[in-house]
Amino acid sequence: MVEPVLVARGLKKQFRSGNQPVSVLSDLSLRLDRGESLALTGRSGSGKSTVLNILCGLEPPDAGRVEVLGEVFDSRTPEREHQTEARWAKLRRQQIGVVFQEANLMPALSLLDNVRLRARLAGQDDDDCRDWLERLGIGELAGRYPDQVSGGQRQRAALAMAFAMNPALILADEPTGSLDRQTAEAVTRQLFELQARHGCSLILATHDTELATRCSHHLDLGHQPGS
Amino acid sequence: MTLLAALFSHYRRHPLQLLALAAMIVLATMLWTGVHHLTSQARASLDQSESAVAERQQVIRADGEPVSVQDFVTLRRAGLCVMPWLEVASSGAGRVVGVDPLAAACFERADQGNAPWRGELDGAPFVDISEAAELAEAQDPPAGALSLLISGTDSDASLPPGYRLAAFSLGPDTGELGESFLLNLDALGVLVLLITALLLRSVYLLGLAQRRESFVLLRRFGVPRNRISRLLVLEIMVLALVCIVPGVWLGRWLATGLGSGFGRALEGLFDMPLYAGRDGGWLVPVATMLAVVLVACLADYLRPLARRLAVAGPSQGLLPALFLLAGIALSVWAPALVWLFVAVAMVFVAAGILAPLLIARLADWRAGHESDPLSRWRQREVSVLARRLALPLVALQFAMAMVLAVQALVTTFESTFDQWLAQRLEADYYIEVPEGADAGAALAWLAEQPALKASGRWHRVIRGEAALTNSFGKQGPVVDVFALSPIGPLVTGWQLFESVDTPWQSLAEGSGVMVNEQLARRRSVAIGDMLSLQLGQQVSERPVLAIYPDYGRPAGEILIHASALPPDFRVSFQSLSISPGTMSIEAISRNLKQIWGVEQLTVRDNRAIEALASAIFDQTFLLTRAMTILTLILAAIALLMMGWVLFSTRAWYFRLLVVWGLPRRQAAAQLTRLALSLTTAIALLALPLGVWLTWVLVHRINPLAFGWSLPMAVYPRFWLELGVLSLLVGLSIALLMRRQLNSPASAPESASALSGGER
Repeated sequence: MVEPVLVARGLKKQFRSGNQPVSVLSDLSLRLDRGESLALTGRSGSGKSTVLNILCGLEPPDAGRVEVLGEVFDSRTPEREHQTEARWAKLRRQQIGVVFQEANLMPALSLLDNVRLRARLAGQDDDDCRDWLERLGIGELAGRYPDQVSGGQRQRAALAMAFAMNPALILADEPTGSLDRQTAEAVTRQLFELQARHGCSLILATHDTELATRCSHHLDLGHQPGS
Repeated sequence: MTLLAALFSHYRRHPLQLLALAAMIVLATMLWTGVHHLTSQARASLDQSESAVAERQQVIRADGEPVSVQDFVTLRRAGLCVMPWLEVASSGAGRVVGVDPLAAACFERADQGNAPWRGELDGAPFVDISEAAELAEAQDPPAGALSLLISGTDSDASLPPGYRLAAFSLGPDTGELGESFLLNLDALGVLVLLITALLLRSVYLLGLAQRRESFVLLRRFGVPRNRISRLLVLEIMVLALVCIVPGVWLGRWLATGLGSGFGRALEGLFDMPLYAGRDGGWLVPVATMLAVVLVACLADYLRPLARRLAVAGPSQGLLPALFLLAGIALSVWAPALVWLFVAVAMVFVAAGILAPLLIARLADWRAGHESDPLSRWRQREVSVLARRLALPLVALQFAMAMVLAVQALVTTFESTFDQWLAQRLEADYYIEVPEGADAGAALAWLAEQPALKASGRWHRVIRGEAALTNSFGKQGPVVDVFALSPIGPLVTGWQLFESVDTPWQSLAEGSGVMVNEQLARRRSVAIGDMLSLQLGQQVSERPVLAIYPDYGRPAGEILIHASALPPDFRVSFQSLSISPGTMSIEAISRNLKQIWGVEQLTVRDNRAIEALASAIFDQTFLLTRAMTILTLILAAIALLMMGWVLFSTRAWYFRLLVVWGLPRRQAAAQLTRLALSLTTAIALLALPLGVWLTWVLVHRINPLAFGWSLPMAVYPRFWLELGVLSLLVGLSIALLMRRQLNSPASAPESASALSGGER
């Protein structure tokens, strides 16, 4: 039996809009096995980013249970906040790669230094960092700063950072949302290729239904918040 | 929606940011107004006190008898403008002075408003002369000293026979020392204005930084850049107008609160209400602050010029560095005060440009040598923030340097002044020798008194003038003569800058003179030099035995044994300084009156004078310290606010570290190290600037302005205090930012935000 990388059960999350509570997630459950990919789709405000934040511990759910790579986080189990924070931090540092739509890089560091920083935080050797940039086709830009390269090149560098840490799970929040179609296609292709080659799992939040079909699973969070 | 409303909409969404901007303008205005108001008040007060105690002229009888009402009538009938001044010592009301308002009117016209009671005639202790006369009559026995003041335009020749002019003085003259301090307060005011301008410029830039995305959007909608700039200037001017008024009010309130103590000290010293605590105008502070706001906002238009002047690339700091060196060189060799102030301005401008550049360069260099990527990132962030927080950092650097210099100056001044005053007022009492009295008879009597003979704590002082002559015997500048005899323990303990082996013994033998620092500096006189002097008609050469400090005034002076004065030396004034020991001052005074055949003697208690003079200066020192510390606090608050806003724009990158798995505590620790690196670096750079400024104040400005210098002293305890303060500012920024780390921060909204300003 394949071990699940991630299991979430009964996730609930509400936000307040003025004085009104708005339910973003109501009883969401999902499971993802090693090597699988899941597309989260839905309109703006449907909770895609919230789900990703909850699944990597950047935001606590109001209720529910998340199990990532054997680490269990249950809202009903009392635990000191800093202990929960420390377990999540260790997971993000060593096992979970996160890629946002933009601003994934430290602007004061070169592309290569960004990848090195990410690898070092994960406890990885930083010897391969230049190779990762080469593999993503931006090796010659290693010494450039983020503002000196294009949006597509920045996102490639972000992928290099995510894979340089040798993750078990990658969470990508609209990673190609700000790119033109051609560049987006190239970046997406590289993302899936690397995911397949390294056998890690992937959760991809996207508006793009065509892109969603390339994932092994698809979860539509609905048209209306709270649905 | 109008364009202005669209621009302002940012603040409707973020009212705290608007509040922060407004608070900065209010605080900056308050600070400058406070210093300005305080300096003006102190200047007016000291002017008034000087005017009150300045040596004036009085008419006395040639026969030495005290003047009476009959003399007043005679003089007025002779067409002279004299004013009766009846001083009555009253147990209940202290010292009361009665003046005649009608005579005062003529006096005031003749003296062009420079009358001692200027504007204070309606209040105690000045009263109408009839009231003072009643008070004098009511005492048992009737007491009261009548003097007849005459305007400065009259001379001996215009007096009827039987009368002559004499000096009239109310008390000790501390004016020159006060002027020196006022000059330093003025310099402080200029520096505070500079710091205020930097803070306001920071506020303006802060407003721009906060709304950068709105501007980008408006420009995309086709609004020209110039129109946006004009509206921003308009907006900041309106904001300034609204904030400057409460700022000025607060500054004046602060200055009045601090200044009332100063006023009390002055009143204590001169026995009259002297503090000019009246309301000053609003126009100067409001107009100055508006001008400063305008300059701070329009400085953008100078940028193209600055860019042309700046040399790009690695030699970017070359021009400011050269400017700095030129400023330092000018400060060493400046021949006049104006050049010295130019040098100070050059050094501050250059230091202000170089400091952020230096921190950024150093951080970049360290980043290049770090093997740990996280440390490298932190160093790069220090570099970015040093450049983006340049203005508030420089304001803090200036404020720290100023505090260092002023603290060192005040502490040095305090100790030096106390020591000097104690030496000059070593005797317990000071007795004026009446005009025409035989001082020799009094000296013979004093010398026979066993108590004084045993202690030797008394001497006679003769004042007059001498001319310096050149080698051809031609008369040169006039210097004051301070002649003493006998030389005893009242003076032998004086601190001397330089001297021969046994200076006092040589002086007592009449074999030389001592010179004050002012004369030594001006005439480049050294120990052992022969000074050619004309005393009376006698020209002689005398060796210089010592150089002594003389902080009270700029005039050159020689100290000589009274026996060395020729018989034709014109004595302008004589006095006795006595510490009676086991004798009573009343007994001495009674005997002297008998010897001199006079009814009244002027006897002053030196301890009271010393205490009151010290009180004035203590209060001035306190005010100066308070204002500089206030400047520092404001600069620290400015950095805190700017740091808070600019760190907010970097908050995402700290959050990125958390996303990458760095525990929040460690991310917060990185933030703390970063903030501390910045504030510590600026404190370290403020240190040499502060020491240099101290040197300029004590060794350059004072000698050029007044002819005397203070000892240069450094106080490492102040350095430590500033170090602690810089750590506190850094920790406060980090604490403020920690809250942002704990709340979800949004990423920069568009990729266009990455335009290079981030690194």
